Amino acid sequence: MATVRKFHLPHYPSYPIYISTFKNVENAAFLRSQLLEGNPNFDYAFLDASTILSLNHILLPAFLALSLHTSGRAKTKTVHSELVFRLHPNNNIAESFKKFGIGDSSRNIIAVKIGGFMKEGQDEVAEESVSRHLGEVVQGDSTDPGERGERLGEECEMEKVRKMYKLESGAGGGGKKGKKIGNTGEAVNGMGGEEKDRKEMESVVLGVITLKGS
Amino acid sequence: MASAAHPEPIEPIQPLQPPSGRPRGGHDQHTLPAPFLPDACEPLTQGAEALVYRTHFLTPQTPAVLKYRPPKPYRHPTLDKRLTKARLLAEARVLVKCRREGVSVPAVLGADWEGGWLVLEYVGGGTVRGVLDGWVHRLPELSREGNSETISEGRKKSEEEEALWELMRKVGRAVGRLHEIGVCHGDLTTSNLMVRDEEEYTENETNLPPSGDIVLIDFGLATQTIQDEDRAVDLYVLERAFAATHPAAEPLFQEVLRTYGGSFKGAKSVLRRLEDVRLRGRKKSMLG
Amino acid sequence: MIALGLEGSANKLGVGIISHPHPSKPPVILANLRHTYVSPPGEGFLPKDTAKHHRSYVVRLVKQAMKQAGVKVEDLDCICYTKGPGMGAPLQAVAIAARTLSLLWGKKLVGVNHCVGHIEMGRAITGAENPVVLYVSGGNTQVIAYSSRRYRIFGEALDIAVGNCLDRFARTIKIPNDPAPGYNIEQLAKKGKNLIDLPYTVKGMDASFSGILASADILAAQIADTLPEEKRLKAEDGSLVTKEDLCFSLQETVFAMLVEITERAMAHVGSSQVLVVGGVGCNERLQEMMGLMARDRGGSVFATDERFCIDNGIMIAHAGLLAYETGITTALEDSTCTQRYRTDEVFVGWRE
Repeated sequence: MATVRKFHLPHYPSYPIYISTFKNVENAAFLRSQLLEGNPNFDYAFLDASTILSLNHILLPAFLALSLHTSGRAKTKTVHSELVFRLHPNNNIAESFKKFGIGDSSRNIIAVKIGGFMKEGQDEVAEESVSRHLGEVVQGDSTDPGERGERLGEECEMEKVRKMYKLESGAGGGGKKGKKIGNTGEAVNGMGGEEKDRKEMESVVLGVITLKGS
Repeated sequence: MASAAHPEPIEPIQPLQPPSGRPRGGHDQHTLPAPFLPDACEPLTQGAEALVYRTHFLTPQTPAVLKYRPPKPYRHPTLDKRLTKARLLAEARVLVKCRREGVSVPAVLGADWEGGWLVLEYVGGGTVRGVLDGWVHRLPELSREGNSETISEGRKKSEEEEALWELMRKVGRAVGRLHEIGVCHGDLTTSNLMVRDEEEYTENETNLPPSGDIVLIDFGLATQTIQDEDRAVDLYVLERAFAATHPAAEPLFQEVLRTYGGSFKGAKSVLRRLEDVRLRGRKKSMLG
Repeated sequence: MIALGLEGSANKLGVGIISHPHPSKPPVILANLRHTYVSPPGEGFLPKDTAKHHRSYVVRLVKQAMKQAGVKVEDLDCICYTKGPGMGAPLQAVAIAARTLSLLWGKKLVGVNHCVGHIEMGRAITGAENPVVLYVSGGNTQVIAYSSRRYRIFGEALDIAVGNCLDRFARTIKIPNDPAPGYNIEQLAKKGKNLIDLPYTVKGMDASFSGILASADILAAQIADTLPEEKRLKAEDGSLVTKEDLCFSLQETVFAMLVEITERAMAHVGSSQVLVVGGVGCNERLQEMMGLMARDRGGSVFATDERFCIDNGIMIAHAGLLAYETGITTALEDSTCTQRYRTDEVFVGWRE
């Protein structure tokens, strides 16, 4: 059994979001092959944990995927593929999977499952079955994402995320050239410098995801 | 008319008080865009363009502001969709640009151009207008305590005054930074300048103005431009907002301008342009 | 009190006679005559020819108005004329007529701001008390609200007036100027189906129309029937774009801009009433759109018909008489006219 945390988007109460995290995963290549084959039992978004900053960094694309999927405007087949696609700053679907989805050598992964697409009253069953299924198929150490998802960014590689969302500023009108967002390192208001950096980065990343391809 | 031959000087249009009580065609008349539901959204304001609500987004612990541009029944639907999308996008782009470059504005948390909505970070705190109004309200009392009515240089300032002046310097720097990165606000009033305060700013016991950062809000009319003219018009609009508060606020605005002038390379030339804009009163002479 | 009003700031010569029986009673229109100078299709009206037209008709129109009103010269209290804004030569022609009558009959002169004339007549006819006013004509585009004895301009056209944009497009597509180019565009627009993209240029409470006209002119060249069919502009469904489609698209776009800036002014001053005046204000589609906007805000729209929307003498008589009643007259040596005369220059002594 894998540790699964359940989250609710305030505006989508009937679509619970299950998140599990794993370290030292041995069979990423197998998991990826199941996705590529379209195995219906592998209806998840498998993300490379090094690319995920925080819980909100998963919840926004999940929200957008739900919103587009339920209104017939999604660009990909499933709500889970749409989630991975929505993480990416531009409109290249293949690239979004290459960058945010798991690769054959991924060691730390985040599995996301959006529930609610089954009949009413099946939620609890779903949570348990997600936990059992992931526990069976993922060969790795299940870790706890935290009750509020506070540990979700632990495996994040900030430099990588910064690069993917092009967070080096300097393109615009005469600002401080080459300044990096979320790299001040100052501790403010008792909040650790790194925590503040991450918060600031998250706020820009959410904006970039929102503006995706436009 | 006799008065027309020698027209009296025309005072500029003062920003009027917002109407008391919501017009009938307000929040209650519109259906919120999916998936937002009325019980989770508390109406905040209604402009000509957007309805603004307080809500939560992504997690129940994340307070957020929903800006919804409902379809305009008078506009051709094709044109309406095109405009709504273009304006939401423009606003979001400017906000993200600001956040990227370290200008303090609400973060963009999500949007749906077709759905006509934009969700922004909720900024806790009060407006600069609120701070100024509170100060003006206490002016008689302050003068009784031995302070003169207007603030003049060279006299030792009280703690409250010093905090107020520091706030003005922050406003000058914030507007300067905004202009420096190539953005003009388009509707820069004291109501669109917030003082961030995680514990909601109320009239605190010390009467000291809040010490948080300035956050610029409402970028619905913002443009990406580095023209002196656009920048000067921003300052002119802000100047009129200060003037509308109280004549005693005049020296405070001078402090805003002084700090602005030193905040980036092109600022001095904007201040010179401001002189022209003042003379013009923003409006050109009309052709018959 | 009774006033004679003379209007001739553009191509309409208007003569009106109004009576204000008592401050508490509504004004009575005794006569309201108009004669329009119509230029051939594809041409605008030139100042010189328009002035000539006004000169040749003014005596006839004044005589006819006096006869129709059944008033004698001694019944008149003052002669009101349009001081501006407008086209120089036609304004002068009518100012000379007004001065002549003033000297001939020994009556005081009152110079009137044309825009204020429209506003006051609109208020009197519709009973709108304190509306936001959209003044739209061939020469003017303004969003106006009253505050402390001035009609203040909240928004306006930054380049050409909306009516000018429509008139000039009518010239581009060579449709008649009779009865009015805008009227003929309106009739064509009713048959238009496809909305073709045009620039939409609103800046705060101001708007700009010259770019839209330029784009519409370019589109018009692409639908010319001299072009081979495969080269002509097509709509999204593949059908050929028509003159009607272009008129429809132009109206939908520029009217949406006008309604938007009006709505912004209403939100700003907290008003739910809107009054549309000026020649373009006759357009039924504009009135309909304005009505939809006002309804959405829980308010209402006031508009007048072509007798009062289109330039006329009665509005000059009415606004002039309002001023005269507060003691304002224009001395003969000051009875000039001016092409530029802002609405907010007038001190509105007759309102609270």
